[in-house]
Amino acid sequence: MNNSKGCAVVRKWWLTSLSAIIACLSFGVSACSSIDCPVQNTVYTGYALYTQDERVDTLRDTMYVFTRRADGTDTLLFNAGIGLTTFQLQISYSHPEDTLRFYFINGDNYAVVDTVWVKKEDIPHFESVDCSASFFHRLTAVRSTHNAIDSIAITKNFVDYDASTSHFHLYLKRHD
Amino acid sequence: MTLRHLISTCISSVTISLLLLLTASSTTQAQGLKLKMFSLVPDSIPMMRGFQVSFDLFGFCQRQLSDYGQYEGALRLNLHDQWFPIVEVGYGVADHTNDEVTGLSYKTKAPYFRVGMDFNLLKKKHGPNRLYGGFRYAYTNYKVDLWRTNYPDPTWQWDTGFGVVGEQYSQHWLEGVLGIDAMIVGPLHLGWSVRYKRRIAHSDGVVGKTWYVPGFGIWGDTRLGGTFNVIIDI
Repeated sequence: MNNSKGCAVVRKWWLTSLSAIIACLSFGVSACSSIDCPVQNTVYTGYALYTQDERVDTLRDTMYVFTRRADGTDTLLFNAGIGLTTFQLQISYSHPEDTLRFYFINGDNYAVVDTVWVKKEDIPHFESVDCSASFFHRLTAVRSTHNAIDSIAITKNFVDYDASTSHFHLYLKRHD
Repeated sequence: MTLRHLISTCISSVTISLLLLLTASSTTQAQGLKLKMFSLVPDSIPMMRGFQVSFDLFGFCQRQLSDYGQYEGALRLNLHDQWFPIVEVGYGVADHTNDEVTGLSYKTKAPYFRVGMDFNLLKKKHGPNRLYGGFRYAYTNYKVDLWRTNYPDPTWQWDTGFGVVGEQYSQHWLEGVLGIDAMIVGPLHLGWSVRYKRRIAHSDGVVGKTWYVPGFGIWGDTRLGGTFNVIIDI
């Protein structure tokens, strides 16, 4: 009789303990949370310089890129690049067409200016309510003036967090 | 060795062999009898042992204390106190408005269901308390409203809106369950369950990822979840 009472007490104690452990685990699980925003969370377009015969080209003049903001003032997107074969530029969140002013300044401080227009569709991108809102883009068209730039072409039309591959091939005129 | 000695040894061997044979034969007969008797005793516990209905208090409290949670009930069939086929049905709600850091809002509400089986892991299966191990298959189909108040593009400074309405999502997932059910009084039981969840298929629409999934919880947060159930035997 005493033995069976003892067993019942042990069983009850065991069930209570197990309940407490599961309760603690459950509350622990619900209390702990992690924020997994992507580390690489900037959306940039990649440009690669190529010669007419599709060989990698190098920027021989110093290049600056400007754009015009909503208030009418200019802002610098790329500062004093030289000797580059690739570079990256920002892309607007939701403007249907970005206008970019490329300045190429040679050793004699002579500047050649070109304008590039990039048309795109903007796609809202969501990771989590804990991560900043961002936009991905689908490039639909690109055109330019032709002072220093010979031509420009879209090579990858989807712009997301991956800027390791180029979205544009930029062909510059040679002045030998 | 004399002839008399040889005869004596032979008689002894035959006697011992006969004795052994008799013993073996009687043991086998006894075992056979026992087996026969065991097989004759019928199982006094019926296969159908009734139903249990339960309500999850954890999801309910979660909804009251935070901006997401679920209301969930379950119907469990008791087969021989060993197997428990179960259907869980719930309604998940999230209403996260204007996040203080990112400014994002996320709204969804949708039903979900889980079906599966629990197994009583206790040695004494017919007692009032149970320790369960089990699995679930779950599915939900839900729409999300997702938006952010207008904000300026950091470079161009154009005002930028961000939002989608009625974006369609769906998800299938599996859960491994470990639970406990303790009798409190009469037909009233209380029980806990801890669950390990794995998404097996999903559709996330065009905006990227999901946040709160009805019945699953916050996606990407943790693979563990739990319930605290009020259970009634019927």
